[in-house]
Amino acid sequence: MSTTEAIALAKLPRSRRRHPLAVWASLILLGVVTLLVIFGNLIAPDATAQSILDSLLPPGSPGHLLGTDELGRDVLALTIAGAASALVGPVCVALGSMLLGILLGTVSGYLRGPIDFIIGRWTDLLFSLPLLLAAIVVAGVFGAGYWMTVLLLILLFSPSDIRIVRAGVMEQAARPFVEAAQMLSLSKTRIMFTQVLPNVSSLIITNAMLNVAFALVAFSSLSFLGVGVAPGTADWGRQLTDGRAIMIDNPAAVLVPALLIIGVASAANLVGDWLGQTLTRTGRS
Amino acid sequence: MTQNQVAVTGLAVDGPAGIVVAPFDFSIAPGETLALIGESGSGKTLSAKAIAGLLPSGFTARGTIALTSATIELPATDAVWRATRGRRISLLLQDPFTSLSPVHRCGTQIAMTIQAASTTRLSRAECAELVTHRLAEVNLPADVARAFPHELSGGMRQRVAIAAALATDPELLIADEPTTALDASNQGEILDLLRGLQEQRGMAALLISHDLGMVRGRAENVLVMRHGEIVERGDTSSVLNSPSHPYTRALIEADPSLTDRSAGVVRAASGINGDGSKTGDLVAATNLTKSFGDKTVLRGVDVTVGRGETVGIVGESGSGKTTIARCIAGLELETSGVIEFDGVALAPGRASRIPTQMQIVFQDPYSSLNPMISVGRSLKLALRVAQRPASDLNGLLHLVELPVEFARKRPAELSGGQRQRVAIARALAVQPQLLICDESVSALDVSVQKQILDLLAKLRVDLGLSILFISHDLAVVRQLADRVYVLRNGEVVESGECHDVLNSPTHPYTQALVAASIHEAPAY
Repeated sequence: MSTTEAIALAKLPRSRRRHPLAVWASLILLGVVTLLVIFGNLIAPDATAQSILDSLLPPGSPGHLLGTDELGRDVLALTIAGAASALVGPVCVALGSMLLGILLGTVSGYLRGPIDFIIGRWTDLLFSLPLLLAAIVVAGVFGAGYWMTVLLLILLFSPSDIRIVRAGVMEQAARPFVEAAQMLSLSKTRIMFTQVLPNVSSLIITNAMLNVAFALVAFSSLSFLGVGVAPGTADWGRQLTDGRAIMIDNPAAVLVPALLIIGVASAANLVGDWLGQTLTRTGRS
Repeated sequence: MTQNQVAVTGLAVDGPAGIVVAPFDFSIAPGETLALIGESGSGKTLSAKAIAGLLPSGFTARGTIALTSATIELPATDAVWRATRGRRISLLLQDPFTSLSPVHRCGTQIAMTIQAASTTRLSRAECAELVTHRLAEVNLPADVARAFPHELSGGMRQRVAIAAALATDPELLIADEPTTALDASNQGEILDLLRGLQEQRGMAALLISHDLGMVRGRAENVLVMRHGEIVERGDTSSVLNSPSHPYTRALIEADPSLTDRSAGVVRAASGINGDGSKTGDLVAATNLTKSFGDKTVLRGVDVTVGRGETVGIVGESGSGKTTIARCIAGLELETSGVIEFDGVALAPGRASRIPTQMQIVFQDPYSSLNPMISVGRSLKLALRVAQRPASDLNGLLHLVELPVEFARKRPAELSGGQRQRVAIARALAVQPQLLICDESVSALDVSVQKQILDLLAKLRVDLGLSILFISHDLAVVRQLADRVYVLRNGEVVESGECHDVLNSPTHPYTQALVAASIHEAPAY
């Protein structure tokens, strides 16, 4: 970008910059889901309570806005309670793999040499593992469970984080300001984490947001296949499996969690993209 | 007034915050060149972009462009520009490293412009023949057509860009700082080539430049622009010889190639070591060699810098001058040779060096400061390294003549010259004995260049600094250096007192460099 263009961009009135409606809608959706995660217990305290008498009510039944499933659980309450497992896991996965990415990616990209080689082959190895198959095998060996899935996904998501951070660090490490820091004889660790890393932060944050979306979909798929959360837990992916059989009687039992998975994943994606653009711009102007 | 000339009337540019370039007129006769001169930010590039229909969004142009074949009322529609740009008006950009597409062969890029402008569909063979012809015009061999831009030198790339710009026989060529990114010896060649091609075709040219020396003898008329307004106009020699506007006078004075100011700069007293404390050289590099893979860039170079002395190293890009600086700084590991600092031999690499020995100021002020860290934090970090209190910050900013409020600013808020001052402040924060300036003023405008050179000259006297000054620009070295080394292909071809070497060079290469640098300025 030439200086004149940069000036033009900087001088443009704020409204001309892109804040599309989609980003606002996404932020609102994510905000509502976050509130559900925090206050879900208050709104729907007994989400998994079963009542055989009320089984398989269609949407709009009195007392059950979205009807009930075949075990008589209220679909609305179940969906609200499911927000916790839908959001907490993916956020943990994104944060965990971000942390691994920052540590290993920075070390790998800045120090290069044998350490870079070892970390590089490690990421190659992880990349070659098929996610679903690995999850099924791990569930078979160690037993299925929510937090086991979180750990597994952190491990499987980390190689892309490591590579992205490594590439960003390599690009920054060649800049003169890094050499200026070397001229001050600062330690390598200090240069890596105080000089180089802040300049890669927009990449890292964007990627973490995108990982939330991918992890949500991965979680839901695993729950759908029965290797994620334990049966009977409130979880959107689980609702898809359980609701398949009663699609005709209560379509809301499948459609509502399905739409929420799509909605939240897309929202995280959009917000991630937007954050990335905004952060890159602040670094420049 | 001849019939077939390019005439632009009432050209103005409006930006988001009001008028950026005030209305002005000019006309260029066929085969002649009009130079538009001004500092960066004066609006000269925006004016050029307005005529080429390439204004960034948020800017609009007004005025009329009258060509022989068409008259364009600004602002014009995209359809009008498609018929004009690249056909009747071509644009040659500053940077030959980015103006060519890196993934296409040079021949393909020239062919693309030829085909886009051609009314009939050309066969592959016809096209290849035209490309060869165009390359021959810019003195390039035919096999350059098969080369990718990265395989060519800067000068060759700019020739390819010229071939592409002229492929459609435009009436008007706009050359926006076409040689700023090139070495001194290439600059003259490229401009003379342009001049020749222009006369052959009777093509009018608008030459945008901040370099007055470049313009002398290469343009018939000059417009001087400042803050979006034309402050002076006239034929080149009368404007350069008897400028009427104070701004033009300041520009001419700041141009190192037009004036030899070395007499005016107070040279550091060579007796800084006269207090009897220590004598001998501060830095002595002996038989320095450096290879990158099988490419040898330094072949046994000896360089010394005395206490309080300023030593210049000049040479074209690729001559190895930057590598010397980086080896001495420990940023590059020399292949063999000995580097002594204060009489003690240093092992290759940073580990054997301490910050207070030497600091470096880099070429590019835009990447040598960390964009995410404020000026104050950068400087405090350096102060802490030298175990100086953070309260020295204000004194440090004062030293480089910046207001103290600058501590809160981020590098992006500063101009190139201000950033370079911050970079110098950071280097001086640890109170080094040697300051290495690696092309530190090359990326700056002439008037800013002068300010930074004056600052360095002052600091050297005030602080008793030794300076190793690397530059491709002889005119700049002339102003600052006591002694100079001329480097070519990794070897020192000439060295000695700055005045002797640059005024009466003995080696043919030095003679060529000196000749290329003075742009027909009066003999020294």
